[in-house]
Amino acid sequence: MAKRDQTRNGYSKFTQRMSVKLAVLFVMILVAFAFLGIRLFIINRDNGDKYKKRVLSQQAYDSVTIPAKRGDIVDRNNTKIAVSQKVYNVCIDSKSLNKDDGANIESTLTYLYACPVEFGYTKDELRSFIMANPDSQYRVIAKKQNYESVSEIMNMVNNPSMYPDFTGVWLEDTYVRQYPYNSLACDVIGFVQGDNEGAYGLEEFYNDTLVGTNGREYGYLNDDENLERTLKPAQDGKTLVTSIDVNIQSIVEKNILAFNEEHKNEAREGAGSTNTGVIVMNPNNGEVLAMASYPTFNLNDPRNTDNLDVKVELDPEKFGVMNGILDGNADLENMDDAEIAEAVRKMAEAEAGQAAAEGEQEAPALTEAENNAEAPEENVEDTSNIDINVGNRDKDEESAADADDPYAGLSYAEAYDKAYEEAKMEALNALWKNFCINSTYEPGSTMKPFTMAIGLEEGILRGDETYVCNGVTQVGDHEIHCSNRLGHGTLTFEGALEQSCNIAFMKIGATIGKATFMKYNQLFNFGLKTNIDLTGEALTNSLVFDINTMTPTDLAISSFGQGFNVTMIQMAAGFCSLINGGYYYKPHVVTKILDSAGATMEAEEPRILKQTVSEATSDKIRELCIGVVENGTGKSARPAGYRIGGKTGTAEKYPRGTENYVVSFMSFAPADDPQIVCYVVIDEPNVSYQANSKLAAVLCKDILTEVLPYMGIFQTEELTEKEAEELAEKQQEFSKGSSEDENPEEVPGEIIVDREDEGGQNPSDTGAITFVDENGNELDEEDKTDRKIEIDPATGYAIDPTSGVLLDPDTGAPVDPTVTDLR
Amino acid sequence: MSEQEKPKKKKRRYFFDYTMLFIVVFLILFGLVMLYSTSSYEANVKFEDPAFYFRKQAIASAVGIAAMLAVMLVDYHFVQRFAFIGYFISLFLIILVVTPLGYEAGGARRWLNLAGVSLQPAEVAKLALIVFFASVVCRFGEGIKGKKGFITVLALALPHAICVLTITQNLSSAIIIFSIVFMMLFVATPQYREYIIIGIIAVALAVITVLLVKYDVIPASVSYRFARIKAWLDPEAFAANKGFQTLQALYAIGSGDFFGKGLGESIQKLGYLPEAQNDMIFSIICEELGLFGAFAIILLFMLLIWRFMVIANNAQDMFGALLVVGVMAHISIQVILNIAVVTNTIPNTGITLPFISYGGSSVVFLLLEMGLVLSVSRSIRVEG
Repeated sequence: MAKRDQTRNGYSKFTQRMSVKLAVLFVMILVAFAFLGIRLFIINRDNGDKYKKRVLSQQAYDSVTIPAKRGDIVDRNNTKIAVSQKVYNVCIDSKSLNKDDGANIESTLTYLYACPVEFGYTKDELRSFIMANPDSQYRVIAKKQNYESVSEIMNMVNNPSMYPDFTGVWLEDTYVRQYPYNSLACDVIGFVQGDNEGAYGLEEFYNDTLVGTNGREYGYLNDDENLERTLKPAQDGKTLVTSIDVNIQSIVEKNILAFNEEHKNEAREGAGSTNTGVIVMNPNNGEVLAMASYPTFNLNDPRNTDNLDVKVELDPEKFGVMNGILDGNADLENMDDAEIAEAVRKMAEAEAGQAAAEGEQEAPALTEAENNAEAPEENVEDTSNIDINVGNRDKDEESAADADDPYAGLSYAEAYDKAYEEAKMEALNALWKNFCINSTYEPGSTMKPFTMAIGLEEGILRGDETYVCNGVTQVGDHEIHCSNRLGHGTLTFEGALEQSCNIAFMKIGATIGKATFMKYNQLFNFGLKTNIDLTGEALTNSLVFDINTMTPTDLAISSFGQGFNVTMIQMAAGFCSLINGGYYYKPHVVTKILDSAGATMEAEEPRILKQTVSEATSDKIRELCIGVVENGTGKSARPAGYRIGGKTGTAEKYPRGTENYVVSFMSFAPADDPQIVCYVVIDEPNVSYQANSKLAAVLCKDILTEVLPYMGIFQTEELTEKEAEELAEKQQEFSKGSSEDENPEEVPGEIIVDREDEGGQNPSDTGAITFVDENGNELDEEDKTDRKIEIDPATGYAIDPTSGVLLDPDTGAPVDPTVTDLR
Repeated sequence: MSEQEKPKKKKRRYFFDYTMLFIVVFLILFGLVMLYSTSSYEANVKFEDPAFYFRKQAIASAVGIAAMLAVMLVDYHFVQRFAFIGYFISLFLIILVVTPLGYEAGGARRWLNLAGVSLQPAEVAKLALIVFFASVVCRFGEGIKGKKGFITVLALALPHAICVLTITQNLSSAIIIFSIVFMMLFVATPQYREYIIIGIIAVALAVITVLLVKYDVIPASVSYRFARIKAWLDPEAFAANKGFQTLQALYAIGSGDFFGKGLGESIQKLGYLPEAQNDMIFSIICEELGLFGAFAIILLFMLLIWRFMVIANNAQDMFGALLVVGVMAHISIQVILNIAVVTNTIPNTGITLPFISYGGSSVVFLLLEMGLVLSVSRSIRVEG
């Protein structure tokens, strides 16, 4: 054989036996291949459908939400009052970091911590987290970072080829809501909480308009079951253009604050008033120019409780805490609840320490108490993340568990913490409410122009009536006093309003009759919502009289604004219609809605809802209200150089006799062609004698003094020397306040001169109607001298001839606050 | 006979295995197409260049085919001279991995960077050992039939296998190296009993290990290999972790149906299946081309192995035949283990699919081996 020939030895050629073995090997390989082929087939047959679904279901996760930018809110001059800022969350993917046995963990951490970002973890914490959670694919390690701080991370994330050892980190886009003016117009704007959800004010009312639609990037399978990826871009929220004017709003808030600071801790501990609300509106279209209340809160930090007075009232003795059981000199009488809770806590800690030292069985229980005592500090930190409702939910659960005593089974310290938490939420909720639309109160005498308008409109009043006021009148079973217990004597029709005589208005009310009175109340929207575009408007339908059950006394007190409740916005909107010719405009805040590109999507045109009174009646009411400021109770509301109209209001709060009042002033300016309506309401002013509407009138004057020039409304009246002086002084304050950087030597007086020059509104030049100041004074004097008053020689007060009550000789109001009546 | 043939020498027709050349070229080209389909998504995400892996592989394939043609034209006895030196050089290269010349990729230190050319010493070792043992068996001659020779030859494979296992932490390559030698010996020696005994011992050891791991006698935390065994037994239970890749591969296979989703239409390659272009490329073939495509590839490999057998049986001499058997062992072992891993038939371990998976060293050295086989085939004289 040729093959054989070539072999050097017997083993140099592939033998027959080898061929057989090779064939055996080949068969074995074939068997293995066949086996694997069968395996493939079985996988397909048994699990094909299941795996097909798995593949698709994995696909479903693969969609990325692209957050929409929440729309801005701007004022009427396009000043941004609420904006959304794009920020970034830094997220880590432990799973991907743990790949390759965590080869990139250290390098990635080093990169990360070299960046100017404040992480929620220390480097070591993060390292151990990554090691301990190899399955975690999403963990936010730094929240809401601005672009500058994450730009380096962004660079590394976007250039993986340049940073191969930087893995498992990505940035998540999100937006934060920012309010450049902090607390300005906080009640109107509202804030955003949780997942882009507006709370209160415009943020809540227009939430749907503002949020926009989140975009999505996702993969889907087309008809051929092929994967296609689609990007659906986010639709950014729309911008709200409001009628609010940041400057007017600032003026209003500044003056509210000044009032409250001035009267802080005056008659009682606390702020200058329980609440102070001001609405500035344009009566000719229903636009709200400013709306503010007191106290305010910072929209950028709405849960800050630093300025809140959270009161907790618990009886320590109910929890077995008594004098003597606390350390040494502790005296329950002189401690407030917080101090007692602190003392109890300390005691528990001390006992726990002792018990632990002695190694007794009780120790665990006491340590637990200690832990609980520490808990509130954590709670305080955590509140920023807690939904408002949590507090209430807790409350519900509790009451379900123990309906009688929510603190059953708790130590005093625990109960205190619980009560504190609840009280805090309550206080916050009260703080966030918009007093101007949310709180109801009895309007008091600001109702009188409405009553008069009804009479005039219906022809029941002619305007030449006279009324005799003796200080008191009998209606049904009730004796109702006038604010002036001595009586106003004989009053003209105008005088009745100017002096705000309750007796006269009760007579007017009786003349009108309850049917007509209530018909018009409906027309003025009392008991109905104004439907202003803000969240939380109170519904007052149950707080007004029902015509079927209304008694003559009800009608009598209604005529001067007691006995039924209104909201500020109802009063302001109704009053606008009284003085603008009778057109009831729907009050509104938003004037335009713009898309994200700035194009107008919707324009909120002024909407006349109804005609309340005729033009003639409106003219007459305007004149009457001017009279109030010129001659009557509203004198102190007149800003120097301007002629305005208005009406005071003083309403006693329920329960009667506690000497708590709501004082208010409703005004419009300028008198001849009203451009603004300014309504001031002070709830329980912190003064010894609250029933003094002058407080509201002066606040109104202070606001108008600044707002009118700002609005370009010129002075029409001649300034008296005193007024000029005061104004100069104010000007000085304004310029100080508004331009601190400016040269302080600049003489403020010059500003006035400038303004007068600019305005060209020197009263003598224009020949505008000048009012004789003396008129009012004369009337006052007449009023006082008209009747014989006995003076109490001991106190110097006047004595009410009918009841013998001591009265202030100037105002006719009772001196002794315990003697009360309706005003 | 010699008198008759000598004048014919110039006219003598030599055999050339075009079938095999065609299969190899087809597998290489098909592999490139599949590689591009599989890797373009990930390459785009990672390197913003969809052709990143494809280009590297295409260059390596071109180099490999050139090398294969060159080797094919050279008489394979040429390599016999380098058998011993190759043995030591390949061992040295493996040890070099611990020096700064070695580098790490994908969490394992298995590569050398020699003057800018990346090289996996394990691939060198496979080729070197095939040449070495073919040569050694020829030298030993009849001596190999004895027990002593048998053990000596097996022991000669140990340094490489142990170095690959310990230095580069590459169990699969160690197994492949050892298996190649084992198979070559199986063919070269007449006995069966030893192989059956070794086989039974190996299977028994494997079963015991698996059972110990399964019932937590050996905690899975001792080594990631044990964790892989656990994941192999129940991939769903370790779906987030060690079982993830296997499970994703099964999803890909199962969702392919008989004809697949179509070339380029895999979903699993879109970031779900790790190492899709590498160890797991076969599952993407199943997903895109279905069982049909998978069986076609398996059939091609069977054809290739059949050709090896034919060439080995007809080789001019023992050395050539054993070279072919070595290459046959190498390729068949890798194909079987790769598909077994992908189908979760054995625990997960990183084995590439010859000619198709991504990997420059692998494709170049496989083509060099193919060059040797073609060279052996060229020396077959066609009679009659």
